[in-house]
Amino acid sequence: MSGLRVEGVSVALGSTQALREISLAFAPGWTAIVGPNGAGKSTLLRVLAGLQPVDAGIVRFDGQPLAAMRPRERSMRIAWLAQQGEASGELTVREVVHLGRLARLGLFTAPGAADEARVDAAMQEAECDAWQQRRLHGLSGGERQRVLLARALAVDAPWLLLDEPTTHLDPPHQVALVRLVRRQVNAGTTVVSVLHDLSLALLADTLVVMQQGRIRAQGARDDPQLHAALSEVFDGAIRIERFGARWIVIPHVEP
Amino acid sequence: MTATDARRRRRLAIGLALATLVLLVAGLAAGSDGWSLPDLARTWAGPDGALIVGQIRAPRTLGAWLTGALLGLAGAIAQGLFRNPLADPYLLGSASGASLGVVLLLAASASGGHAIGLATADTLARIGLVGAAFGGALLGVLLTLTLARGAQQTTRLLLAGVVVGVMLAAASDLVTSAVPEALRGKQAFLLGSTGYLGWGSCAALAVGLALTLPPSWRLARALDALTLGADTATSLGVALPKVRVALVGAIALATGLAVSQAGLIAFVGLVAPHLVRRFAPARNGFALLASAAAGGTLLLLADVLARSLIAPREVPVGVLTALLGGGYLVWLLHRRRVA
Amino acid sequence: MPASLIRGVRVSAWRWRLAAGAVALALVSAAQAQLAVRDDRGATLRMSAPPQRIVSLLPSLTESVCALGACARLVGVDRFSNWPGSVRGLPKLGGIDDAQIERIVALRPDVVLVSSSARIVDRLEALGLKVLVLDSRDHADVQRSLIAIARLLGTPSEAERVWAVIERETQAAVERVPPALRGRRVYFEVDTTPFAAGAGSFIGETLTRLGLANAVPVELGPFPQLNPEFVLRAQPDIVMAVRPALAEMPRRPGWPALRALREGRTCGFASDRYELLVRPGPRMGEAAGVIADCLVAITARDAATKAPR
Repeated sequence: MSGLRVEGVSVALGSTQALREISLAFAPGWTAIVGPNGAGKSTLLRVLAGLQPVDAGIVRFDGQPLAAMRPRERSMRIAWLAQQGEASGELTVREVVHLGRLARLGLFTAPGAADEARVDAAMQEAECDAWQQRRLHGLSGGERQRVLLARALAVDAPWLLLDEPTTHLDPPHQVALVRLVRRQVNAGTTVVSVLHDLSLALLADTLVVMQQGRIRAQGARDDPQLHAALSEVFDGAIRIERFGARWIVIPHVEP
Repeated sequence: MTATDARRRRRLAIGLALATLVLLVAGLAAGSDGWSLPDLARTWAGPDGALIVGQIRAPRTLGAWLTGALLGLAGAIAQGLFRNPLADPYLLGSASGASLGVVLLLAASASGGHAIGLATADTLARIGLVGAAFGGALLGVLLTLTLARGAQQTTRLLLAGVVVGVMLAAASDLVTSAVPEALRGKQAFLLGSTGYLGWGSCAALAVGLALTLPPSWRLARALDALTLGADTATSLGVALPKVRVALVGAIALATGLAVSQAGLIAFVGLVAPHLVRRFAPARNGFALLASAAAGGTLLLLADVLARSLIAPREVPVGVLTALLGGGYLVWLLHRRRVA
Repeated sequence: MPASLIRGVRVSAWRWRLAAGAVALALVSAAQAQLAVRDDRGATLRMSAPPQRIVSLLPSLTESVCALGACARLVGVDRFSNWPGSVRGLPKLGGIDDAQIERIVALRPDVVLVSSSARIVDRLEALGLKVLVLDSRDHADVQRSLIAIARLLGTPSEAERVWAVIERETQAAVERVPPALRGRRVYFEVDTTPFAAGAGSFIGETLTRLGLANAVPVELGPFPQLNPEFVLRAQPDIVMAVRPALAEMPRRPGWPALRALREGRTCGFASDRYELLVRPGPRMGEAAGVIADCLVAITARDAATKAPR
């Protein structure tokens, strides 16, 4: 199968076993990785991005080991958005988004008109083109998140790994993000996102449920077995209800 | 907004260029009779003109600018690499390494020829303080890199730099307590002085700048990517460990050269990037070049003042850079509080 | 002294007044057998008997104690004291800034001799030790220190004797200075930065005493940090420095133009000789002699080469 897959991957972070012999392949479309805190979701995403070395097992991309790929090959194919915005410095919004083009250009090639066009498109997609010349540190949390998302889009990679992309986003912009992901998927991008908002996660095509470093379930969003696993993983504290064409998740509180 | 940014960058560049030119000329007029243009004219016309102006004032002035440029560049790289506005070029053990090198050489020559072989003594004399300082600085950084086991992580590098700094300073103290004569020379070296920068030194400094500035400028985009975090930069295909080693090497070379020629001059590497950020925030490509120019201008200004204020005596130039640089930082803090 | 005075006086009707005066004087002398020495802080140190255990925290004071014959009473010195040879075996108690207070106290000294720039005076006195603060910066200081220490040791006349020896040695050195070099300007470098010794410094005073002028005017202070250009413009007649510094002087930009360097009118001192020259202590006479020897050697070299004018 093409694309990213992990086989028997284990990762220990300090004294904690973050991932225990995970084997996973990804279907095209949008996959959401969910689970309680400490499940290993972000660690899995980092492993997929090639940012986290594994203690056992292997990560493959199109059959070949990810670790054997040259950095530029990897960065052109996989775009990654960090969970925490660690951004600092004096760059303007446009300059930040432009950094996404590094994945293709490398450090020494000058950008061309095509790159500028891609940067414009990415900013429009993420709805942050209005403040191109403002500096990052002058923006609010939600505005900054959209800029960083635009940066990931500017990479133009066939795989998009998003770690908690809805952080700081207010509802209108969460909706906009979902629409954006849909458009990307329709254009052929495979999106894997870690989401803690289960209602949003249940808008994805496939869900992967994790708990304590293991995969508990993987299935389509309508799959009842998936819902059962989800409920179990959250200790029965949630209810999954049908709401029109979609599912919503409510905290289950005894009156 | 683009126009404003570009305009500010242009203004800063022109400002620094003008300031440099003015100060280079001013440096020619700063002599043992204080700052005086008539004295410059007289001396130039007199019998000692070529000696005083050509061999002492001119190379010293140019050397001060080049030293400041190296320190400013190293400071800008350090602040970008460590993502810390308080980073300075001495963080990686270069200062303490240079200091130890100087102290070891002084101690060896003070112990006289009987402690070491005559051939060794001769070699030491030829290497001189400059060679000892330069070698020591490079070895200090090498030790830091080794302790941090390569440049895998920035925090580890920083920590290793601090540890190496402390260890080498302790070793230096050990040597000076065993051989007190070395202490005298060490104090002089630590205060910093442009007094003996001749044309040879200028050549060495210029070569150093030529070797460090272009590669750092080329790697500036990596520093830009780093502002998004190390992981994001890696995900963009930036080979961070290699980039770090290259930039650390540039810092080591630039700092080692500056320190070996002019001693430990504080604040220039720290303040120059701040000055640039204040007047014209920009990407690292511009910031590195501008920081070099700003550092050169700052040190040159301090040097001209050091020579002119209490002539024929000199104020140690490190004192003036601390006053100018530190004063600016205090003013900056005050402004932040008010604004 | 009282005896010689009284011998010369005629017995007269004022005899009873004289007798009363003599008794009073005797009483005062007896009271002064409880020693009282005024130090450079203005404080008066009182001791019932001369100290038997002395700690000295300044090399020049160590040398003064030994010159006054009380070397055996030293129980501890600072790390820089190195003359005479017998003090090298004594416990080393640190320097000016890092004196080892505990070890000093453990040695149970009767008195501690320090310079005025030491910071530990208050702490030592708070611990119950007697401290004598003596400056050692110029020739006058040396004489005053000798007198004070001699009084402390209960042998006040020794100070005169030692000072007389110093004076004799110095005068002998003055007379040895070749007439051709009298009045010549000397550049005495104390540090490669460069720091020079001005006319107001200790070594500067020695040079003045020897009839030499100083390239550094006295207004610039005792140890000014100079612009190297100043030295070149001044073109001193004689250059004096430690040997390593002298050897590397021609490598400094522009310095080969110094005539004194080119013509070999230089004095390069080994580091122990250099220490002797700049240390304001009882070996000042010997120091003057060292310089005089160098000047004689310069004149001899000049005569040997017979350089054409």
